[in-house]
Amino acid sequence: MKVAATYSIKGGVGKTSTAVNLAFEAAREGARVLVWDLDPQGAATFLFRVRPKVRGGSRRMVGARGELASNIRGSNLSPVHVVPADFSLRHLDLHLKKRARPSRRLADLLAPVQDLYDIALLDCPPSISLASESVFGAAEALLVPVVPATLATRTLTQLVDFLDDQEDAPSVLPILSMVDRRRRLHKELAESLAADWPELLTTAIPAAAVIERMGLERAPVGISAPSSPATRAYRALWAEVSARLWA
Amino acid sequence: MQSSFTHPDRAASSVLRSLTAIGFQVELPVAATCVLLDTFDARLHRAGLRLEYRGGEVGELVLAGPAGTPTAYLAWAKELPRFGSDFPIGPFGQRVASLSEERALIPGLAFTTHTRVASQRDRRGKVVVSVLLHERPSVDDAEAELPSWVAEVVGVVGHDTERAEAFDRLARLGLVPTNGTVADVVARAMGSSLEGHTSVPTIALDAQQDALSAYRAVLLNLVSTVRVNLPGTLANTDPEFLHELRVAVRRTRSVLSQGRGVLPEDVRLHFATAFGQLGTLTGPARDLDVYVMGWDLMVAPLRLPDPRVLVRVRGEIERRRRAAHAILSVELGGEACRQTLEDWSGWLAGTEGVQPKPKPIGPWMARRIAKAHARVVAHGRAITPASPPEALHDLRKDAKKLRYLLECFGGLLPRKGRKAFVGQLKVLQDNLGEHQDAEVQLAELRMLAHDLHARASVDTDALLAMGRLSDLLDRRRREQRELFVERFASYDTNANAIMLTTMLDALEQR
Repeated sequence: MKVAATYSIKGGVGKTSTAVNLAFEAAREGARVLVWDLDPQGAATFLFRVRPKVRGGSRRMVGARGELASNIRGSNLSPVHVVPADFSLRHLDLHLKKRARPSRRLADLLAPVQDLYDIALLDCPPSISLASESVFGAAEALLVPVVPATLATRTLTQLVDFLDDQEDAPSVLPILSMVDRRRRLHKELAESLAADWPELLTTAIPAAAVIERMGLERAPVGISAPSSPATRAYRALWAEVSARLWA
Repeated sequence: MQSSFTHPDRAASSVLRSLTAIGFQVELPVAATCVLLDTFDARLHRAGLRLEYRGGEVGELVLAGPAGTPTAYLAWAKELPRFGSDFPIGPFGQRVASLSEERALIPGLAFTTHTRVASQRDRRGKVVVSVLLHERPSVDDAEAELPSWVAEVVGVVGHDTERAEAFDRLARLGLVPTNGTVADVVARAMGSSLEGHTSVPTIALDAQQDALSAYRAVLLNLVSTVRVNLPGTLANTDPEFLHELRVAVRRTRSVLSQGRGVLPEDVRLHFATAFGQLGTLTGPARDLDVYVMGWDLMVAPLRLPDPRVLVRVRGEIERRRRAAHAILSVELGGEACRQTLEDWSGWLAGTEGVQPKPKPIGPWMARRIAKAHARVVAHGRAITPASPPEALHDLRKDAKKLRYLLECFGGLLPRKGRKAFVGQLKVLQDNLGEHQDAEVQLAELRMLAHDLHARASVDTDALLAMGRLSDLLDRRRREQRELFVERFASYDTNANAIMLTTMLDALEQR
């Protein structure tokens, strides 16, 4: 099982929509997918129409006898299973702190289910914390949506600087998100970002109404708007990500 | 696990009425063709997987595991995949290819249904349980009586209660619960096995059993392996058919050579010659199969700046392989081969040759195995660094004979001890096999280089690359030769000898 996380220190950059749509595209390409919603807001849980409930709360889940299997739920997409989030995840840092090796805890929880899935996508909350370090310990790739704004690369630099000091750090794959090609600023920033960050994935996710409507449709854009440019973009993005993961 | 229902008299509509009464939403029926795909030896089935092609409005491949595990789907608009390499890069193909390896995926059971999906959703709109109602399942050209419908209850992970409730609801209607999916139901009705064919040479034997009847049983099992692998070999469906057939032929020859005093001598000699000819026929095609299958691995260490340099060489080997298979198909598909197999099967199934004073197989086989082991030890100890390569080849044949006896008459020995001893023998055999493969491939490559050069079919770069490849094979051959001393020493130990003697003593005393 490959493990990737949609992650950014900044909020509102498209982490959850990336996780949900990549899960759909991965399933469409024949993968068995586990989406683990680690964000207490539970947006991915909501989009997959799963009940927002962590059995025994996050304390029990990451505790000594905690396990993932009993928290896994099916979704309307048959090959996609979800570990839902609930509000108890706001204390995830505190519970992880009590563990002997907090940065390995999420990886340890994933280990027993690794033969059941081809990819686990971890949808992370916007922060850099102990929980983030545990994500870095579990994931082999961080998919980092970056919006074309002047300060956007700053958080990307912060993340890369932080990971430089870590052993076995995951690879960072920045993704241009919410791009409006009609705006000159977006175009210019996208070009400079590509020049500064060779790891930047070539697919850019457009700013699109169909993505904004995901909350209403409660479905990936591949279902609600299968012929839209946004769907094509996520499809191309998955092709890039899977080529990196299965290379 | 019981997960489906059917009923000989009830109409499918009664199931739908019952489900809609408790809030299930029913979709329109969709006609679909379902084809099960697996290797000849059912590698996917044995790994707990099922690969189905479902052709409807949109064709898809479905890879299902045990209940509770996610099923994978892959849109498929092309011809059915034959090999793992036919899948696009990704986890679906990788899972199939890692199991099927060099074996072809063969379309098996095929049927059509008209399927309706009835689903129950929770207040979030998520499906928590589904019932797939397959109506009018049918199989082309088949007279088997199939149920008029099958209702399959499909649970969703984390919603066991809802699945149990739906199951109970259908059970209360008086429907007949049945195991598996609609494919299992159709397969049972058709008498089709999803288990595949295996070429296991070991059969149950009794130490007190008359030796002739034991030989007959072993040889019958082997000839049936030859027969089931013959069509796939003739069609060159995948290289394993020929390999399995060839191994069964070799085992037959080996058992025949160890059958003096048990089998009537005229029969034994006649069929030893006939199977010897069969074995000779199959050699060239198999050698070239091994060459082609190992090609990528073999040339990888060359790190050629341009891999296209050897394309013509590989193409020529492929051409020779195809030619060898074409010859093989004509010979094996001919009357002589058919007659040999028919006569042999007929003789084995008969009673001719029964001796007035039968001898029990146990002590007889114990002595045979002891002798075969002694031969391996004596010949192995006689090999020195100065011995010609033929000495290792002869030892390889001795080791095979011993292995075949241990496997074909393995039913007489304790499973654990036999497996442990064969494991030790296999280590030695692998070394001898790799040495021999390198020898054969080296000879083939040199011949090829001469031919291609004579026909001016290759450029200088290719000849140079072939020279490097030849060096590589020669180095591999020498490495295996050097390794032989260590491998033989680890086989020729007191512990191994005691392990075998203990098993054989027990067999003689039974």
